[in-house]
Amino acid sequence: MTTAVIETERSGRIGARAAVLAYLAVCGVVLLLMMLLGLAMRLAQAQSIELSPALFYVLMTMHGAGMVGIAGLGGAAIMWHFLRRYVPLSTGVLVANLVFFLIGAVLILGAGFIGGFAAGWTFLFPLPALSGFQWSVNAAAAYLLGLVSIGVGFLLLYLDIARGILSVYRGLGNALGVKQALGLAPLADGPPPAVAAATMVTIVNTTGIVFGAAVLIISLVNLYVPSFAFDPLAAKNMIYFFGHVFINATIYMAVIAVYEILPIYTHRPWRTNRAFYLAWGLSTAMVLIAYPHHLLMDFVMPAWVLIIGQVVSWLSGLPVLFVTAFGTLTNTYRSGLKWDVAAGLVFLGVAGWVVGGVPAVLDATIAVNGVMHNTLWVPGHFHVYLLLGMMAMMLGFMTYLAGAKSPFGMAPVGFWLYLIGSSVFVLSLLAAGSASVPRRFAVHLQAWLPYDQVGSLGACLSLAGAAILVVRFLALLPAAAREDAAKP
Amino acid sequence: MIQDVVWGSSIVAMGAFAALFAWVAAGADLALPNYGPVIASAYRLRGWLFAGAVVILVAANYRTLGELPYVSLAPRPAGPVATAAAIGEQWAWSVSPNAFAVGQTVEFHVTSKDVNHGFALYDPGMRIVAQTQAMPGYTNILRYTFPQPGTYHVLCLEFCGLSHHDMKSDITVAAP
Repeated sequence: MTTAVIETERSGRIGARAAVLAYLAVCGVVLLLMMLLGLAMRLAQAQSIELSPALFYVLMTMHGAGMVGIAGLGGAAIMWHFLRRYVPLSTGVLVANLVFFLIGAVLILGAGFIGGFAAGWTFLFPLPALSGFQWSVNAAAAYLLGLVSIGVGFLLLYLDIARGILSVYRGLGNALGVKQALGLAPLADGPPPAVAAATMVTIVNTTGIVFGAAVLIISLVNLYVPSFAFDPLAAKNMIYFFGHVFINATIYMAVIAVYEILPIYTHRPWRTNRAFYLAWGLSTAMVLIAYPHHLLMDFVMPAWVLIIGQVVSWLSGLPVLFVTAFGTLTNTYRSGLKWDVAAGLVFLGVAGWVVGGVPAVLDATIAVNGVMHNTLWVPGHFHVYLLLGMMAMMLGFMTYLAGAKSPFGMAPVGFWLYLIGSSVFVLSLLAAGSASVPRRFAVHLQAWLPYDQVGSLGACLSLAGAAILVVRFLALLPAAAREDAAKP
Repeated sequence: MIQDVVWGSSIVAMGAFAALFAWVAAGADLALPNYGPVIASAYRLRGWLFAGAVVILVAANYRTLGELPYVSLAPRPAGPVATAAAIGEQWAWSVSPNAFAVGQTVEFHVTSKDVNHGFALYDPGMRIVAQTQAMPGYTNILRYTFPQPGTYHVLCLEFCGLSHHDMKSDITVAAP
C-alpha cells in the first residue's frame, strides 16, 4: 500500500490537482446558474416575474439535470482527491469524465433551450416521446444522449476507481472493511474511511449507472421506432433505481471531505471501528434496495416490494448517518477547534444531512406518502440534504482547497447568507408540501403564494451566499493550484 | 390531518438535531484536557442511542404498516362500494361517475391513455386526502370514503408536460 501511495504522489501531482480544481470550478459556476434557475422558478410561482409554462418546465428540467450532474461531479472530485492518497488513480480518466460531462451538458442545454425539451430530469417513459408537440424527437434524443454521455464518463471513472482499489486491496470486500466488520481481521489493518466510502460508492453507482444506461438506450430507440414499446412500470423502476442510487451516492462521496478535513482542524483522528465498517457495508446493500420508496403510489407494484421500500428506507440512512453524525459531534466536541469557513461548511454539511433525514424518512412512509407524494414536501426534503448537506460539504471542500491561509474576506458573510437563506428556502418548501401544494406546477393558486414569496426570499439569500463562496474560490484558483494551499 | 402531524413532528425533530449540532459547534473552541474518558462515554451513549433509534424504527413501521392504502391488502368494506373510472390524458381527467354521497365508499380505477399522471384527490379545503399514479397499461385501484360534503378536486401530481398544472377535474359529494 505504501508503494502505491508513493507512486500516486509522484505521478502527475500538479495535473491531478488541476483536474480536481477544474471539476470544482465547473461545479461552482453551474451551481450558481442552477440556483438562478431555481430562484426564477420560485419567483414565477410567487407571481413576482412572468415565465411561460413552456419556459418554466424547460428551466425545471435543466435545473434538475444540472443539479444532479454537479452533485455527482462535485462528489466525485472530493472522493478522487482524497482516495488518490491511498490507491493509484488515473488523472486521464478523471479528465475524460469531465469531458464526457461537458459534452453531455452541451447536449442537454441544447435540448432544453433550443429544442424546448421539458420532460423533467427523470425523463419518465414515455413522456420524452409524447410531448404534445412541445418538443421534437431530436430534442428528446439530444437530452437522452446527453445523459448517456455523462453516464459513460462516470462509469469510466468508477471502473478506474475499482481498478485502483483492487490493485491495493485485492478485493472490494477488503476495501469495504468487511473482515473488520465481522471481527475476522484486526481493526488496525482496516481500510481508511475514504477507501471504505469510495468502495461503497463504486459498487452502488456502477450498478445504478448500468440500469440508467439501459433505460436511456431503450427510450432512445423508442423515440425513433415507436413500435419498440417498453413497459412503463419497468422503465419507472429502472429510472428511479438509477436516480435514487446516483443522488444518494453524491453525499456518500462528499462525506469523505468530513472524514479527511475535520480531523485537521480538531487534531483528532477520525476513528474507524467495527461499527464504522459495519455501517458502510450495510448501507451498500440498503441503498440498492431502498429505491421502491419512489413507487409507493404505484399500487400495481407487488405490495411486499413497497413494504420493503418503506422499511429499508428507514434503515438505509441510519448506519452511515449514525456513525458519521456521531463521529462528527464527538470529533468536534470541545476539541479546541478554531472555526473558519471551510470547517464551518463541512460541519454544516453533516448537520444538514442529519436534519434532512427526518422529512426524507417520513416521506418514505407509505401512509405519509399517500398525502405527501409529489407535493413540495419532496423537493423540500431533498433540498435539505442537498443544499445544506451535500453542497455545503462541496463548498467546504472548495473553500478548503482554495486555501484557508488566504484571507476569507466576505466568505463568513457568504456562509451565514447561505445557511440562513437555504434554511428559509427549504422550510418554505416543506411547509408548502404539508399544505398539499404540488411540486412541478408552473402556476400556483393564490392561496399558495405566501410559501412561494418566502421561498423566493430564502433562495435569494442562499444564492447570494453561494455566489460569495464560489467567487472567492474562483479568485483564489491560481493559489489553490499549489499543493500546500489547503493547510489551515 | 396526517400532514399536520408530519409537519409538527418534523419541525421538532429537525430543530432538536439542529440545536445539538449548534451546541457542539458553539463549544468547540474550548479544548478538553483529557479526551479519552469523554470518547469512551460517548461510545457507550452511541450504543444506547442506536438502540433507541432501532426501537423507534420498529415501532413506527409496526404502527404505519397497518394503514396501507393498497386495496389488495385492505379488508373489503361492510357496505356497498361504488366504482368510478378515472382516466388521465394530456391534459385532462375523465372521472365517471363524478358525483357521490357523504359516507359512500368509492373505488377509483385509475389509468392513463398516454403518459404517467398522478391522480390526487383534494378535499374542499384543498388538502390531499388520497392519491395514486395513473400509468398507461396499468390500472391502480384507489379506495376512498368521502367524509364530508362539498366539491373535491382532482389534480395531476405526476409531471406530464406543458399543461400539467391545468389538468384538473371536480368531484361533487352531496350531504346524505
